[in-house]
Amino acid sequence: MDSLLNPYYLQIVMFVMINAMLGISIYLTLATGQLSLGNAGFMSVGAYTSALLTLKVGVPIFLAVPAGGIAACLLAAVIGVPTTRMQGLYLAIATLGFGEVVRVVALNLKVTNGALGLSGIPSMSVMTGKGLSELGLGSGVGILSAQQLSNIIVIVVLALMLACLVFFALRLSKSRMGRAFAAIKADEQAAEVSGINTTYYKLVAFFMGAFVAGLAGALAAHITFYIGPQDFSYHKAVEILLFAVLGGSNVVWGPLLGSFILTLLPEVLRPVAEFREMIYGAILVIMMTFRPEGLLKEGTIRFLWAKFNWRAKAEDDNSQPEPEGGR
Amino acid sequence: MLWQQVVNGLTLGSTYALIALGYTLIFGVLNIVNMAHGEIFMFGAFVALMLVTTFKVNLLVAMAGAALAGAVLGYLLEVTALRPLRKRAVSHMAPLISTIGVSIFLESLALNLFGAQSQSFPPMFSGKLLDFGLFQISVIQVVILAISVGLMLVLKFWLDRTKMGKSIRATSENIDTAAILGVNTQRVITITVMLASGLGAVAGVLVGLAFNAVEPTMGIPMGFKGLAVLILGGLGNITGAMVGGLLLGIAEVFSVAYGASSYREAVAFGLIMVLLFLRPQGLFGSPGNGGR
Repeated sequence: MDSLLNPYYLQIVMFVMINAMLGISIYLTLATGQLSLGNAGFMSVGAYTSALLTLKVGVPIFLAVPAGGIAACLLAAVIGVPTTRMQGLYLAIATLGFGEVVRVVALNLKVTNGALGLSGIPSMSVMTGKGLSELGLGSGVGILSAQQLSNIIVIVVLALMLACLVFFALRLSKSRMGRAFAAIKADEQAAEVSGINTTYYKLVAFFMGAFVAGLAGALAAHITFYIGPQDFSYHKAVEILLFAVLGGSNVVWGPLLGSFILTLLPEVLRPVAEFREMIYGAILVIMMTFRPEGLLKEGTIRFLWAKFNWRAKAEDDNSQPEPEGGR
Repeated sequence: MLWQQVVNGLTLGSTYALIALGYTLIFGVLNIVNMAHGEIFMFGAFVALMLVTTFKVNLLVAMAGAALAGAVLGYLLEVTALRPLRKRAVSHMAPLISTIGVSIFLESLALNLFGAQSQSFPPMFSGKLLDFGLFQISVIQVVILAISVGLMLVLKFWLDRTKMGKSIRATSENIDTAAILGVNTQRVITITVMLASGLGAVAGVLVGLAFNAVEPTMGIPMGFKGLAVLILGGLGNITGAMVGGLLLGIAEVFSVAYGASSYREAVAFGLIMVLLFLRPQGLFGSPGNGGR
């Protein structure tokens, strides 16, 4: 039990959750067929906002984390408003540039402590640990030590947030707005002619992606105690993109699968760590050539449902019947 | 002082223009942004550096070697990451993503091949400054200016006057019509990608000389600057790329000279943000180009 619950494994589980959230953030933007390469930038805005609020102002973590998401969202407006009116390419380049500008600003501002980054950020597991000892559970419960218990509580909280986001994304794809997103992705001009306000929906998708990325960044800051400008470079943006490219960007489960694989892969590939980026690059090229829609697409999901029919039936009994003729 | 900054800016800007030309040529013909351009640029710098330090050739030969290496990389890029995507109908984001893949592949390859530390060209010219009264200019700056401006003029002439240049322009105007009119568009595309990559590699050598530093990570920031110029000048606009590059060089040098030196890397994208609000089609693009 102890070997399974060692802090290293628990930390990896937390990173899987954070990366899954980042996967959802890029999925939300890609749902309208737009490519945002600024998710690392939004992540860093969220992380710095939340870290500074807790460090300098003393705001509690549970308020600072959403504030990070909102800050990312506000900055998304600065890029989103001029670029969503234009070709998708402009958004890709402008968000790429945005990430770079955020990095340079974080590197130079006094309040962000420049290249040294911020350290000693209040950590969620330490806070939970303190809460536990106030409750008189400082020595742990049963076979779990206090540290393990607080880590597990943090993981449960992250898992709940992730579950909410996944639920939201799944509901979204069935909603009026989600259908509008899909229409824009399939053919923007046709969508516009059918009376869909494409600029509005593209902007909303972009904002949602930025918010989730900011949220994930803020959570990451409160897990690792330390953030620096180099944590959110171009390579982080490419990594997030890779989640969606590998897993698939047409269904919510795609980026989740991608983030899961790509967070665990480096742990397995430790011996060849110096070739990691080369492998990532090769994956991008190979996926685009042979399976541009990613490992999971709508057909794959349907196939899997049919294969595990008993599960689908059990689900059907619980869930509401799907509206007919939606697609 | 002012003229001095303008000269420094023009020197820097001429290399940016050369980088941006690579993006512009490829965008014109294929309608894609080649994200691997910055890394081809970096490889060019390393090839020239190796030629100069290990084989003791002179700078011009090294530059030719870099251009050749760039062209070869461009060919490989076209065959592995671009051509397979054209064969099947994929979203317009696919080439962008696959070239990002090539870019991080090449960067990591360079880190493994050449090491992470910054290397520099051996001193080839005297550090003496030529004094023109209003401004001073070093020999190396003259070399950079002469080569980049010379290459731009040759390119412009070649595109305007030769049959191949005409084919490239026809293909960028409309690839299907060009094919119907008997242009071998496949060949035009391959040649354009190779040409753009060769130019990028030469730009890498020039930037390596200008900053006296060649390192595997130099591709990304320089590639970003080329992208900034691409938008600044208007997508696919060759004159726009040349003038946009010079403007960016001057803007950067002035931002360093008058205050915000540590924000230098952010100037390019600051300019883009302003431009996207005011004139989304780029400085030289016609209205409508910026639309969808």
